[in-house]
Amino acid sequence: MTVVLALEKVTKSFGPVEVLHGVDLALHTGEVHALIGENGAGKSTIMKILGGYLAPTTGRVLLDGAPVTYHSGPEGEAQGVVVIHQEFNLAADLTVAGNIFLGREITRGLGLDHAAMRAATAELLARLDTSIRPEALIRDLSVPDRQMVEIAKALSRKARVLIMDEPSAALTHREVEALYAQVDRLRAEGVALMFCSHRLDEVSRLADRITVLRDGSVVQRSLRGEMTEDGMAAAMVGRELTDIFPPKDTTTGETLLEVRGLNVQNLVKDVSLTLHKGEVLGIAGLVGSGRTELAEGIVGLRPATGEIRIGGRQVQIRSPRDARAAGLAYLTEDRKEAGLLLDKNLPVNLTLSALDMWGFRIDPKREKAEMTRARKEFDIRAASDEMRTGALSGGNQQKLLLAKTMLTGPEIVIIDEPTRGIDIGTKQQIYHFVRALARQGKAVIVISSELPEVIGLSDRVLVMRMGRIAGEVEGAAITEENIVRLAMGLDREEEPA
Amino acid sequence: MKRIDLHVWGPLIALIGLFILGALLNPAFLAPANLSNVLARSAFIGLIAIGMTFVITQGGLDLSVGSMAAFLAGITIMAMNALVPIVGESWGTILLGMGVALLGGIAAGYVNGALITKARIEAFIVTLGTMGIFRSLVTWLADGGTLSLDSGLRSIYRPVYFGGLGWLTWPIIVFAIAAVLGEWTMRHTRFGRHVEAIGSNDRVARYSAVDVERVRLATYVLLGVLVGVATILYVPRLGSASGSTGVLWELEAIAAVIIGGTALKGGRGRVWGTVVGVLILSMIDNILNLTDLVSPYLNGAIQGVIIVLAVVLQREKRTAE
Amino acid sequence: MKRRNLMKLPLAAAALSLTIGAGFAQDAEKVVIGVSIPSATHGFMGGLNWHAQDTIKRLGETYPNLEFVLATAPDVGKQVSDIEDMLATRNIDGLVVLPFESEPLTDPVKQVKAAGKFVTVVDRGLSEEGIEDLYVAGDNAAFGRVAGEYFRDNLKAGGKIVVLRGIPTTLDNERVEAFQAALEGSDKQILDMQYANWNRDDAFNVMQDYLAKYPEIDAVWAADDDMAVGVLEAIAQAGREDQMVVVGGAGMKDIIKRIMDKDPQLPVNVTYPPALISSAIEMTALNFVSNAPMTGRYIISSQLITPENAESFYFPDSPF
Repeated sequence: MTVVLALEKVTKSFGPVEVLHGVDLALHTGEVHALIGENGAGKSTIMKILGGYLAPTTGRVLLDGAPVTYHSGPEGEAQGVVVIHQEFNLAADLTVAGNIFLGREITRGLGLDHAAMRAATAELLARLDTSIRPEALIRDLSVPDRQMVEIAKALSRKARVLIMDEPSAALTHREVEALYAQVDRLRAEGVALMFCSHRLDEVSRLADRITVLRDGSVVQRSLRGEMTEDGMAAAMVGRELTDIFPPKDTTTGETLLEVRGLNVQNLVKDVSLTLHKGEVLGIAGLVGSGRTELAEGIVGLRPATGEIRIGGRQVQIRSPRDARAAGLAYLTEDRKEAGLLLDKNLPVNLTLSALDMWGFRIDPKREKAEMTRARKEFDIRAASDEMRTGALSGGNQQKLLLAKTMLTGPEIVIIDEPTRGIDIGTKQQIYHFVRALARQGKAVIVISSELPEVIGLSDRVLVMRMGRIAGEVEGAAITEENIVRLAMGLDREEEPA
Repeated sequence: MKRIDLHVWGPLIALIGLFILGALLNPAFLAPANLSNVLARSAFIGLIAIGMTFVITQGGLDLSVGSMAAFLAGITIMAMNALVPIVGESWGTILLGMGVALLGGIAAGYVNGALITKARIEAFIVTLGTMGIFRSLVTWLADGGTLSLDSGLRSIYRPVYFGGLGWLTWPIIVFAIAAVLGEWTMRHTRFGRHVEAIGSNDRVARYSAVDVERVRLATYVLLGVLVGVATILYVPRLGSASGSTGVLWELEAIAAVIIGGTALKGGRGRVWGTVVGVLILSMIDNILNLTDLVSPYLNGAIQGVIIVLAVVLQREKRTAE
Repeated sequence: MKRRNLMKLPLAAAALSLTIGAGFAQDAEKVVIGVSIPSATHGFMGGLNWHAQDTIKRLGETYPNLEFVLATAPDVGKQVSDIEDMLATRNIDGLVVLPFESEPLTDPVKQVKAAGKFVTVVDRGLSEEGIEDLYVAGDNAAFGRVAGEYFRDNLKAGGKIVVLRGIPTTLDNERVEAFQAALEGSDKQILDMQYANWNRDDAFNVMQDYLAKYPEIDAVWAADDDMAVGVLEAIAQAGREDQMVVVGGAGMKDIIKRIMDKDPQLPVNVTYPPALISSAIEMTALNFVSNAPMTGRYIISSQLITPENAESFYFPDSPF
């Protein structure tokens, strides 16, 4: 078991923010190495540095003990270090065989030897136990099939080091078994493998070595059998909450929103929930678990089926306008692309959702008054009302977005990722705004990938997993461990059979 | 820092420069009759360009307006001629004909808008298609020739183009009113704000509960109405329509919008800029005709240079930010 | 039928062959004649299209064994494709073509000839001699010369003329050069020449500007009656109807009517009849249905239309 590829005291900074703090890591031949951690812990950054897609800010990457000479993904692949990304890297209009041999086509004379490439591809796919045809177009394949093509492509590159980011996330049970068999085969052939996964059962099944990452630092290293799945979850979380969160001092009133059997485009399945006046309901779950899709389904941004009652009355919400009329507002997670017009000034953004309630002519006095009020109420710091919104800091943009969302006077507010990409001081302000909304008798849903945020804000937490509600925790039971276990589907093992 | 913003004031400065140039080159340029002619001629393209400003600002495009104008002129003339035996050679017939032009404009704009927003086909493709359709229809209606208005009606209708308040002929007055209303609508109404928001980022607009499809559709209908108004002013001038009516008007209108500082990718509309753009284009033509400055072969080149310059100015602003 | 007295020779042949052709047609094989012309983008072409369709309909009824394939093209590229299609898929026996432009059409038409088909070229010659069997054209130089001579002989001494040209093309150049040549040496003066693209609206604008620019104008030559319509309107707006005469061309029916009615503003017109396509199609048809071979060059000269002879150029049914 020799070390093939290693990180030595690697740090990585994006601008002023350091996201990796002196990481040491080693990949051995014939070994499977699992890298686990919460969203944003730095797993993807590490994989990209290993594969040559990113350069470390300080520290070294060593291949066979010597500093690596590759500086891009393709150069890394040429030296046998292959990364399979979560976002597929396939040309949709080419065939499976075309993709697998892209850039190193088998030729015969001047032309391509299609027959040879097809035969080689068929053999690779057969090894993976799939029924994908080599001449199928990528665009016609399902997501799991595309994943299998990615894996086949990596196998065909005769990888010495194979790094996989969430390889099984999109696969069905049968395909997962085929993947595991391949991993075992590659390990036996002496390939050094690394993968990251949110499926802790998978980590237990495959990994010879586990590295736990938290906030850009390695917090634990274990060998096979040294750590239980619960232990892994605890190690990943292990963070204390501070008093940046306001006290949960509101009293919960009558039911305001009731959702029954909501389905959204196969991404959200049969979700039911209730929300009360003065309540903050957290929705947690992994990225891709259907949280945002649930919210967008409720407010009419995505086609949804199911029943929605507001204040006991059934409502049909087919568009954001219907939602607004029903007193429902949604604050998007995608501030820059769906939330604010970055090239417009502040008042234009503030009033955009509310103009329909103002009449045909825009009253400049009213607009100015609302802007002044919003700046005060939400502490939006800007050099001038007339500046480009895109020139505001992320925190001030988020506060403006919150002010815009509240200007339509909703009774129910769904806030998706309230503090993404903003500094801790503004975070604390926003948390207090959220609680203040509850205190005013509004009903609030907070969707977040940051567990401390969900825990610190919510009176009650729904955990989503694969488009369904995996469970609900309330009061003292709102702990990171409970949420992580629900999000990763660990609870079932504890249920009596 | 308080440097003159060329991007905003450039077109106006260019217009004033042209005006001075024209006056210096030929005193006839300043004659009220000549200025009246230039403004009245600008009215057709001007009205269309005001509507085009809204369409382009929301991120769309309409290539069909020139053909649409020819088509509307054709059906207006046919409708009026058909009404003569029923209603007589009177203002009644003319008013009904104007109604046909306006309703036709609404219908044509709705067809464009509905295909773009409901059938979700690219605006470029839809209006490229309807451009050919309207053009062929008018040629077909005219049997390859020219549709002419009944001569009795013509003499009643004629003052709508040539008459007015002294030198301020009706086309100039209508153009001015449309310009003021257009600028007000873009700046101070919900509709104008929504149009700009959609052009700036339609996803943000949708998430902000703006009825994106309806607003988009409305811009095409508005443009259709303005093409109808332009037709109402156009028909009394020559009293005829043919396959060659309104050729390339769409490109002149688009050029005027761009010269006026509205971004072709949408998001920011400037109606007064469009008016300036239209005046620049027709003033260039006028000055070239009044003087022997350059070979008439090069008229198109001069307009082309102005359009490219306008776009270059826009880009300089963007990189400066 | 009056206009066709312009072409005495072919019509005589037509009359002669009518009976022969009818008898001949009974047992003859189907003959396909392709007709390729520019589409109706302005008045003159509109008239030309109308005459082409009218002639095809009439000949189709007279000679049941004749089949016509008519294709109109908005640009050169389309016309080339049309001709290639006719040869490849419609199996034509003869082709009547009015080329958009000489250069690009020369080779495709040559291919048709090489395939042993009968080729008639109308109005605009090919850039290579001897391809076509039959050439029928109007006389562009004469078109300009007749107008020029009229001004030379009838305008008052020192008369001032403004000219509205068409679209910059060889055809336009030939007309204008002949016009200038006719005036050369006379005491008449050309003040200005601008392009108005054979378009009414453009002519209106250009004429407005002429009127603003020149306080004194005695005559306007608008080398096409579509432009003359715009010119007349601009003159009426300026209230200068009695100061100048307007001479157009190509014999638009409304203008001819006014000449017949002795309108002082419109003393004369110059022919360049769109009906020349009819002659070309008829003569091509005769080549197949009669025994007389129809080959050679026929130049239909331009004539001056005056109030005296105007009636014979008046076609109320034509759209032009």
